Amino acid sequence: MTVSTLITAGIDMGTQSVKVVILKEGKIISRNQAFSGFNPKETAEKALTDALENANVPRTTINHITATGSGVEMAPNSDSTISMMGADAKAGVYLIPSARTIIDVGAEEARGVKCDSKGRMLNFVVNERCAAGAGAFIEAMARALEVELDEMGPLSLKAERASPINASCVIFGESDVVSLIHRQESKPEIARAIFDAMADRVSSMVHRLGISPDVVLIGGVAKDVGFVASLNRTLGLEVLVPENPEYTGALGAALVANKRAGDTKN
Amino acid sequence: MTKKSIREKMYVPEIPQKEIEKLRNSIKLSSKKAIADHIQRMKKTSANRPKTMKYFDEIADLFGQREKELRAAKEEGKKVIGYLCTFAPIELILAADAIPVRVSSGWYDASKLGDRIVPVEVCPIIRSTIGAKMIDLSPYMELSDAIISPLTCDGMTKLSEILSDYKQIWTMSFPRVKDTPSSLSSWTEEVKNMKERIEEFTGNKITGKKLRSAIELMQRATGAFRRLQDLRKGPPVIMGRDAMLVTQTSTWDDIKRWTEKTEALCDELEKKVREKSWACPQDTSRILITGTPMIWPDNWKLPALIEEASPQGVIVADELCSGDRLLNDPVGVDEWTMDDMLTAISERYLMASTCPCFTSEDGNEDRINWLLTKIKDFKINGVIYYVVRGCMLYAMEYTRVKRALESMDIPIYYLDTEYTREDVGQLKTRVEAFLEMLSARIDF
Repeated sequence: MTVSTLITAGIDMGTQSVKVVILKEGKIISRNQAFSGFNPKETAEKALTDALENANVPRTTINHITATGSGVEMAPNSDSTISMMGADAKAGVYLIPSARTIIDVGAEEARGVKCDSKGRMLNFVVNERCAAGAGAFIEAMARALEVELDEMGPLSLKAERASPINASCVIFGESDVVSLIHRQESKPEIARAIFDAMADRVSSMVHRLGISPDVVLIGGVAKDVGFVASLNRTLGLEVLVPENPEYTGALGAALVANKRAGDTKN
Repeated sequence: MTKKSIREKMYVPEIPQKEIEKLRNSIKLSSKKAIADHIQRMKKTSANRPKTMKYFDEIADLFGQREKELRAAKEEGKKVIGYLCTFAPIELILAADAIPVRVSSGWYDASKLGDRIVPVEVCPIIRSTIGAKMIDLSPYMELSDAIISPLTCDGMTKLSEILSDYKQIWTMSFPRVKDTPSSLSSWTEEVKNMKERIEEFTGNKITGKKLRSAIELMQRATGAFRRLQDLRKGPPVIMGRDAMLVTQTSTWDDIKRWTEKTEALCDELEKKVREKSWACPQDTSRILITGTPMIWPDNWKLPALIEEASPQGVIVADELCSGDRLLNDPVGVDEWTMDDMLTAISERYLMASTCPCFTSEDGNEDRINWLLTKIKDFKINGVIYYVVRGCMLYAMEYTRVKRALESMDIPIYYLDTEYTREDVGQLKTRVEAFLEMLSARIDF
């Protein structure tokens, strides 16, 4: 029997961007992402090709591709799929072994997953079909404040106090922000109000699930220092954020692919 | 058919006949397609689907054979008595030589019409039933000469008031606490009053002999249902959707014929058990659904998602008033006197029910207990708690059920939805993640 190196790929077909992670013998050798756009299938195909090129790995040597994400049906030529929650649990524990509760805040959706030490999902919860607890909300609000998206977090940290807004819905949230603008509140305070409102929604969602430490925050929004600060305050604990948190879903899928390819080989 | 003008309309706006016809024809057409599509998909999902399911596939057509039979029976002078809720004492209807038929609506598109009268926050079953009536969509509702409406949840209570714009509605007032002596006696009074109403309306006296044979007829139906249930306790010999359809057709089919056909199905299933010919792999996750009733034909969304998912699940039991709750309990009579029979009917409908409209100092214990028993008997791997938005009682009781199940280490997932087809993608993600979690518990 020839022992070949195990190369697997995970593709996360997110609502806003496609992420790809390539593993060689279970170790990350390449990652790549692209804006999903109107033709996610093509985007994903290209993101995969680029990721392979960066790692200098020919396509034919891939043993197994696992896809995940809300657009999983649009994934190119995958061998299997895994749910987003399953991928979160797998990768969360891989990156931070003490993780037992994983919060994933993406562009359009927030999720909470409870898992065991092996990265098995024990329970999960999903936000209620409204983007107010997710990244799209920050984007909409940044537009209303006329600041760049990545300025929002640092700006909010300068706030001296909090002003409450309602984030039950993006549209209502926006009109609340407009009233804060009319009251001449400062930009930092409004930015903080936005993150606090989001953190409130995410926190009540995770409380429904029950919180077991350590709590790990992943997804694109985990990169936002403003949101992390608000979430820590609301939950009353320090969430752990791994490196490249937006790739967690793709990594989880790649890890599952690694296991599935290993199972078939043996 | 004569439409009884009961009184001045209080809720419903006048809709031009032309618009009514246009809406009815279009919803009826899409409904016929939905029915055919569901049956097709059910056939596809089940390996070795029982041949005796053919009868139920046919009777599932809400605009088919049964509608014709009801029309013919009415022409011979029989009365059709509809009911909106499973608390309606069917035995009394049968004993008066009338035909019982459930008239709650499962049509998604009809709920949008109901929005013209009540806010969208109201439970979609209620909105859809109103909408169906607005355009004369449901043959069973249209053919009903009177409708029994037990006042259980808030939605049902106001629904009966709104439907009174069109129909003769007989309300039954309902105790919210079941385990007090006054509850049973007041409900027994309601049952007795209903008997008189039915007698007067149909002109047929409910004699002791007639009531006894009606009770025995329903007992035989319960027997057939329980036989089917016992078959679902073992390895999956029938898909959940098939069994759920069989059970639900009992609410509009001729009950004697339904019992015979169900017995025939059970004969075939027993043969399959002997041959070890299963409907799906034996390690498929075994699911129980509880929550808001799921009414044929449109509201078949969740059962379809579960049994067509990857990984697949099989529904082996439910705790729904559109399913296992319908026929689970027979009327138990000691002495076949009129008084005893009526008390036995009253007890059967009140005490055996696990509807969340009940409470007491100990809460709705019966529902919790029944769920826990079912989980053991049917070897359930996971529970999906299904709620349509606006269904307050089921939504509120969730936390308690969840706690009880967690103490047994049974995973439960709360899934909320609407009378709409558009959220299937999101629901699929959740259902598949849940099933993935269950199969990971079995083997990872």
